[in-house]
Amino acid sequence: MASNGPPDPAATFRELVTTWERNVNSLANQVMGTESFSRLMQEMQRMQLALQQATSEAMGRRLAAMNMPTREDIIRLAEKLGEVERRLGRIEASLEGDATVVHDEPSRGARPRTRQPPAEYLSSENLQKEKPR
Amino acid sequence: MTKTEAGREDLGLRVRGMVDRAIQRGVKGFEYVTSGPAKVGLTPKTTLYGRGTLQLYHYAPLADELYRVPVLMVMATTNKAFVFDLLPGQSMVEFLLKRGFDVFVIDWNAPAPEERGLKLEDYTQDFIPTCIRKVQQETGQSDVSVIGYCMGGVLSLIYAATHADGPLKNLVCLTTPIDWKQMGLTTVWNDQRYFDVDRVADTLGIVPADFIRQMFEMQKPAQRLAGQLRVSEQMWNDEFVRSYRAFERWGDETLPLAGEYMRQTTKELSWGNKLFTGELVVGGRSANLANVTVPILSIVAEHDHLAPRDSTKPLLDLVGSNDKEEILLKGGHVSLIAGPNAIGRMWPRLERWLAVRST
Repeated sequence: MASNGPPDPAATFRELVTTWERNVNSLANQVMGTESFSRLMQEMQRMQLALQQATSEAMGRRLAAMNMPTREDIIRLAEKLGEVERRLGRIEASLEGDATVVHDEPSRGARPRTRQPPAEYLSSENLQKEKPR
Repeated sequence: MTKTEAGREDLGLRVRGMVDRAIQRGVKGFEYVTSGPAKVGLTPKTTLYGRGTLQLYHYAPLADELYRVPVLMVMATTNKAFVFDLLPGQSMVEFLLKRGFDVFVIDWNAPAPEERGLKLEDYTQDFIPTCIRKVQQETGQSDVSVIGYCMGGVLSLIYAATHADGPLKNLVCLTTPIDWKQMGLTTVWNDQRYFDVDRVADTLGIVPADFIRQMFEMQKPAQRLAGQLRVSEQMWNDEFVRSYRAFERWGDETLPLAGEYMRQTTKELSWGNKLFTGELVVGGRSANLANVTVPILSIVAEHDHLAPRDSTKPLLDLVGSNDKEEILLKGGHVSLIAGPNAIGRMWPRLERWLAVRST
């Protein structure tokens, strides 16, 4: 319904922003949704990764010359530590044994697990089930 | 009072309101730029289990009487789980707790360099089953309901399909893509002819968060600037600013991904579309969705640009469940779970569906 008063500049601003956003997104999606854009984007990424790889290899050679570990060496060490942790975890789990087999218990702690859904939930659920899909 | 006099008074009030807001914008704008990041995820919780990228939280119950079956929420691997618990009053976790659910959440840390080899097998045959066992031990209940969001929904589905005899009681998939050939711009950009995922995974090891964030933001390139313009105009509105800043923080804290996981999801799910065709095998087990027979609810958003409607639609046709339902709601990928639409529409529908299946 049209307002009788003078226009609200804030509301106009909000509408303008929304329209601008919708139009820009729509236009950008048209451009970016093409095969040529996808090819260009991936080509740029390929070049960036090639540069990164070359830099990393050069740095690795320098570190090796200085008798220092590379990032890869540190990661390998961390992987070995991770494997030790996982083995410990498996040992811990096997020591727990049957503790992982759970049988329903009435409840733990102070809060009973006896809550029932409100009656109207049950009736609407039954109504839905009766409807053909 | 004549009509002209009333009109003048109305105009005067409006001008006064505009001046008040302009002053408030100045004062609050200063607070906005000088204050730290938004405080999010404030509902009390304990970390029940953690290992590398994996974190399992248990939230303190807020009801005196609980439903028998606990709920485990699985976050998407690209983002932090505080979107489930954004702000007091704007928190799906808080909502479910108040309505008597015992809530657990799987959250993800940025994978460390030594976790670059993580695969779908780790997430669906190790992380989720381990967390389910922890939930069983903590609650003393054998049944567990799972709610997965986006890629968390995909992981939950793979878990469900490969553990058909498992303890899963109910499964809820929020904006979960199934047909990866219908993923809009993501499908175009992942074109097998041009996207060298092997080079990305081999060179980077861990795919940086900036890479992932750019992929998301490029799909709606005007969104960030439009959001900043909106918040500058709404600076007087504390609630709007609080919510905007929380969402902004969530977007900024996008997570990096393990390279191997990205390679596998690209080849198996995007190029092979194997979740849709039923050919997906994970850890030597068939992840055919027909294996899923538990009650399943799929909640999807009408204007979802990341998991478009066509990509989510096939789920109910593919699962083997008899008790299955889809709810299509207005909103987008994120507003569906944490925006005003979530509070008014999605959470109550989710609660109603879960409640009658949690006793």
